Amino acid sequence: MQLRDYIIRRLIALPILLLGVSIIVFSLTRIAGSPVGVYLSHEMSPEEVLQIEQRYNLDKPLPVQYAYWLRGVTQGDFGWSGVASAPVAEVFPAKFAATMELSVAAAVVAVALGLWLGTYAGVRRNKMPDHITRIVAVSGASLPLFWFGIVLLIVFWANLGWFPVGRSTNDIWESIAHPTGFYTLDAILAGSWTALMDALWHLVLPSITLGFGAVAIIARMMRSSLIEELQQDYVDAARAKGLPERLVLKRHARRNALVPTVTVIGLTIAFLMQGAIAAEIIFRWPGLGRWMASAVVRGDQATIMTYVLFTSVLFLVANLVVDIIYAKLDPRVRLGD
Amino acid sequence: MSISKTDTTGAQTVAPATIASVRGLKVHFRSKAGRVHAVDGVDFDVRDGETLGLVGETGCGKSVTGRAFLRLLPVPPGILAGGSVMFRPQTSCGGCGGEGCAQCGGSGRRPTPCPTCRGQGCPDCQGTGAETLDLLKVSDKQMRGIRGDRIAMIFQDPGKALNPTLTIGEQLGEVFLQHRSVDLLEEAGIDSGESGFQAGALRRLAGQRDRRTDRMAAALWPPLRRRAQSVRQALDNRIAAALGETQIPNPRNIMRSYPHELSGGMRQRVMIAQALACDPDLIIADEPTTALDVTVQARILDLIGQLQAKRGSSVIYISHDLSVVRRICDRVAVMYAGRVVEIGETDQIFNDPRHPYTKGLLAAVPTTRTPRGKLAAIPGSVPELVDPKPSCRFADRCAQVHAACTASDPILSAVNPGHDVACFLEHPTSPKTEAAE
Repeated sequence: MQLRDYIIRRLIALPILLLGVSIIVFSLTRIAGSPVGVYLSHEMSPEEVLQIEQRYNLDKPLPVQYAYWLRGVTQGDFGWSGVASAPVAEVFPAKFAATMELSVAAAVVAVALGLWLGTYAGVRRNKMPDHITRIVAVSGASLPLFWFGIVLLIVFWANLGWFPVGRSTNDIWESIAHPTGFYTLDAILAGSWTALMDALWHLVLPSITLGFGAVAIIARMMRSSLIEELQQDYVDAARAKGLPERLVLKRHARRNALVPTVTVIGLTIAFLMQGAIAAEIIFRWPGLGRWMASAVVRGDQATIMTYVLFTSVLFLVANLVVDIIYAKLDPRVRLGD
Repeated sequence: MSISKTDTTGAQTVAPATIASVRGLKVHFRSKAGRVHAVDGVDFDVRDGETLGLVGETGCGKSVTGRAFLRLLPVPPGILAGGSVMFRPQTSCGGCGGEGCAQCGGSGRRPTPCPTCRGQGCPDCQGTGAETLDLLKVSDKQMRGIRGDRIAMIFQDPGKALNPTLTIGEQLGEVFLQHRSVDLLEEAGIDSGESGFQAGALRRLAGQRDRRTDRMAAALWPPLRRRAQSVRQALDNRIAAALGETQIPNPRNIMRSYPHELSGGMRQRVMIAQALACDPDLIIADEPTTALDVTVQARILDLIGQLQAKRGSSVIYISHDLSVVRRICDRVAVMYAGRVVEIGETDQIFNDPRHPYTKGLLAAVPTTRTPRGKLAAIPGSVPELVDPKPSCRFADRCAQVHAACTASDPILSAVNPGHDVACFLEHPTSPKTEAAE
């Protein structure tokens, strides 16, 4: 199948999948109780509560409520967030930008470092660098993210004071315009070196915390698939042609080793979204994860629904991207079969 | 072409008509059980333009011997434990420009003069006047220059020896980029005296030494892009010509396809085109037809033979298929447990085998007269090659074993001109090798 056709087909399937996801999540959240809580205060009488229920159609059967919710979503109305005391749609973009900035930074750290470490270890199989990488990788995969994050916080923020927490220094943040909501991007657009440094400085600890686990998984995968590829005949054939070892690795072995690794990278995107919740809480990062955590505690159902919907979109898109890269890397892959 | 007797006892005096001579080659592998002596003192010569068959059962060390020519051993666990592989690279004959004349004996190529003595004969070239390299000792850089250019290899399974993620053209092109970048630049009309970034970038691109900046410039900067395209064109012409020579139809289309889109026979043709691209002096064919259908086999063998004859290259044909070896080889070396046990002209080996192992091997080939259900086999199995004892390796399986066989190790000695056997039956008083380490 042509790559273009495949992408179109997947994009058509996307809304259908999302509809399914939303039905399941809607039902599950409603099991936890009525979302009316976020609209109430202690002074309200039972009559007033009933009024609010009627106003937001919460007295109707569940499928009807779902239909109302869905209509709202298609019109850009995601409901009222009790946690933020504002409509979800209004708060969402800023928090989305904060979380995406963190996730992208973490993903860049994870992919770049993971692939490099994996290659480095794979070429030096069973030598010292390989053993050291293995220690890094095993600890990365087994240390709980929240624990690792707190240790970084204690060491580098509380004790050494090298890195800040939060997303920005207030007055620097306010000194530039924010057309995209991505602090680093805005700083570059504004041409402010101070703002860019501030943005990157704030990103260091949370993105390391978030990316560390993924580094481990990617590095291990890259290492083992590279070792496997290096034993293939075509690697010797490349050497027999007179290619220097650098090209044997770069042009031949590594490219093939990337094929299985890319699949793993796709899966770690979901891992990052999960981890973002803990990382954002630890480092006071004003993103979706922290918002989501408070929303769960306070029963803010509109926020939960939006978050889950967003995560699903992200996951599906990430998988589509992985499939495309997969097909680009390996000509034998027939998409859609 | 003068053919001299293979002299294996005096290791240093070698007839100049040999392109390569292996002396006492030892390749060991480290394993949990100890040192595996996979190749343990192999001696043979490869003569100019001949096809030498290297036969033996699986695990006898024939592939490892072949790979030692290109130093393509897994290191570790493989260890080049000793011996030498002397190789005399050749150049196109100056008298006829490769056409074939009296000076070069019609082959169109002659030995490269020794750089130390300019062809006068000196210790470096063992008095032959021809450049002589010990392939086990040359630098990695020099080895890379030899690989694919002077010595090429055809692998057993073309499905595995071609990279699945690169097109045929991209893979074949690498040989030219590595060894013929000067010619490519010349064909693309780039002056060798030119300097500056453009010329530097083009040279790097044509030699696979390109940096990211070169690629970016070649993609974005129109003047450089045009010239880089003409290099690309010169490369494509060479690839297409190389593919065309192996009778691949539509080479321009094939070079854009991936290995999985071709049949096994086609892939082996690509491998052959790749191996012969730079007119190597020596081709190591490691069971090139084992992975192919019998119907395709014959055509591939003919192809290798034709191209070899055209170029005057020598071939080491590694196989366990005796019928194929009999058909295409000029001489045959029989290997057993890391040693050459018998070597001679194909006729001598097949009509007058002397070593009990060779006899057993030939008897094991079923013919139309072999009775149903009965296949002759050599009793026992190949010995473990871990730290072998100083005895004949075939002693355990040999029907004619006697005291001398278990006491020491026989070495190759002549039974007829050009026919050497390592067996105490032929040489009761054969000089004995020193005990294996």
